[in-house]
Amino acid sequence: MNAHVPAGKRRGGHVVRILTIGAHAFTQLARMKVFHFLALFAVLAIASNFLNLPQHEGPESAGAAVLRSIKSWSLGAMTLFSVVIAVAATALLIPKDIEDRTLYTILAKPVPRIDYLAGRLLGVLLLLFVSLLAMDLLMTAVLQARTAIVLGEQRDMAAALGWPHDAVESLLAETRAAGPGWPLQGAVAAVFVRAAVMASIALLISTFSTSTLFTTVVGLLVYFIGHFQADARDFWLQGGEAGEGAAARLASLALALVLPDFQLFNVIDAVIEGSVVPLATLGRLVLAGGYYVVLFTLASWFIFAEKEI
Amino acid sequence: MAAGLLAAGALRMTWEIPLTHLLRGQELLPPRLDTGTRERIGQTSSAVALGGLRTLVATFLNLRAHTRFTEQRWGELALLFDTITDLAPRTRYYWETGSWHQAYNAASHHLNDSKLPPLRRREAWRSSIRAGRAFLERGIRNNPDDWRLHAALGFLLTDPNKIPALRDADDCFAAAAEAYRRAAEQPDALGYVRRSMLYALARVDGRQDEALALARALHAEGARNHTPTLLCLLLVLESRADPRLDTGRRAIELFGGERRAYDALCNHWRRTRERFPVDGVAAALRSIEARLGIPESESILKSPPPAPFDPDQAFGN
Repeated sequence: MNAHVPAGKRRGGHVVRILTIGAHAFTQLARMKVFHFLALFAVLAIASNFLNLPQHEGPESAGAAVLRSIKSWSLGAMTLFSVVIAVAATALLIPKDIEDRTLYTILAKPVPRIDYLAGRLLGVLLLLFVSLLAMDLLMTAVLQARTAIVLGEQRDMAAALGWPHDAVESLLAETRAAGPGWPLQGAVAAVFVRAAVMASIALLISTFSTSTLFTTVVGLLVYFIGHFQADARDFWLQGGEAGEGAAARLASLALALVLPDFQLFNVIDAVIEGSVVPLATLGRLVLAGGYYVVLFTLASWFIFAEKEI
Repeated sequence: MAAGLLAAGALRMTWEIPLTHLLRGQELLPPRLDTGTRERIGQTSSAVALGGLRTLVATFLNLRAHTRFTEQRWGELALLFDTITDLAPRTRYYWETGSWHQAYNAASHHLNDSKLPPLRRREAWRSSIRAGRAFLERGIRNNPDDWRLHAALGFLLTDPNKIPALRDADDCFAAAAEAYRRAAEQPDALGYVRRSMLYALARVDGRQDEALALARALHAEGARNHTPTLLCLLLVLESRADPRLDTGRRAIELFGGERRAYDALCNHWRRTRERFPVDGVAAALRSIEARLGIPESESILKSPPPAPFDPDQAFGN
């Protein structure tokens, strides 16, 4: 019975196709040796642990400041790597498929174009997930090792100075809080969601772009301009209180309506500084990221559906 | 499609704005970078900071600040810490360190090593300490729930080497007591904070009754609060409240022995730099010296206590 139903109408057909295309895209990207950057991250994470960078701190802290440095370096590198990978990998996919003629093979079959785009995006997201997971594990391991060293040194120092029990416990609790833990995973999740949004934007650009380079450059520009989206939105909402011209206000409105608000994902800094992102707030951030991803993927489909291939 | 994208953009404004407010309310989003900060960190760092990596830029600037510290370029160091704390306003370490560099390191440099003429040296010393205090107070405004910043301010305001650079001693001790009180209000504050509040309060003229009530409350809480300073102050404050008190007998009772009482009171008597009140201490010392058989010629009361820190002398005026 199912044999007579068009492939696109079959129950679960979309999902299976998207998963198949996604797995293929992931394999394709893995073969391009994009994971080699992980070696660079490993060097960075390990170096941030073992290089004793100059810090202004008293002997009683026993090197605790380095924990913040490790988090800062690691999450910073994760943000940069994930955004660059999201843009570059997505920018590469469609041109590569055209060059290899894979695109014609796929679209010659009863594969809706939205399935193709969603599958390709899924491949990139899978790549981002695996990369971030590897970086997260490495960061957590380095942080765990260093936290154990610092805790040991602080215990020895406190015993030598005869600190009271509550002072020792307070110091150790603070050091443990600066070490690895669930709050840090909230920041990693925010890094992933931001990179996922960037991948969907790169997908949209690549549907009308003429080259990989164009997609990459424009994608990275959008990333930086996206951090001003909230400012543009506020500018528009202030309603020309400071006597701004109509053209400037319209431009700010256009910017606010088209670009995503990347500042929302800057919670990473707060986590490095010791804040905890509540689960409900993290959930809202993930939903916000999901909205952007779906929106830009649908926009990509509208353009790609009209494209002559 | 463009219309659809704009419509979707208008739709998402309905949740983007509340989400931004929620994140700001939960202090998960940093305040906006002002133009001054953007100019100070330069174009590249601005781009990185705007890209959501403020703490990374702050880490780099902190390394640069360490170099400025070793080169003793205090003005540049202060500016760097202004920038660092603009980028990472909730990291206590930067507030503590920035204040410490100004109030302690720069001030000591101007006090001891500077090649400036005495008057300018003195002014630089005074300005550094005041700048260190102001920086710490700014840190507290940004992190009102951080007890360690309040305690750091209390510590600075009770430092006998810093008080002459600030306003009069009474104001300093009153402000320190208030700082320690705010620190003690935080649930994770350590026990020493309330004792420090007492130490500051006991030195504020006119608030000794308040200090006595606090000293009695702390003493009643148990042995962990029975530090030599607290016991001495309890004796002093009781003696002030009741001048007829037999301070020698009371001191022995508080310290649990003549020798312990004598050693602690001798130490308290010589802490003149810290401006602790000494009501009844001389009488107590005389009484215990008699019990211990210490001849009058060897009395601690015969040797002159150290003089308080005097900027006029230090700067050769």
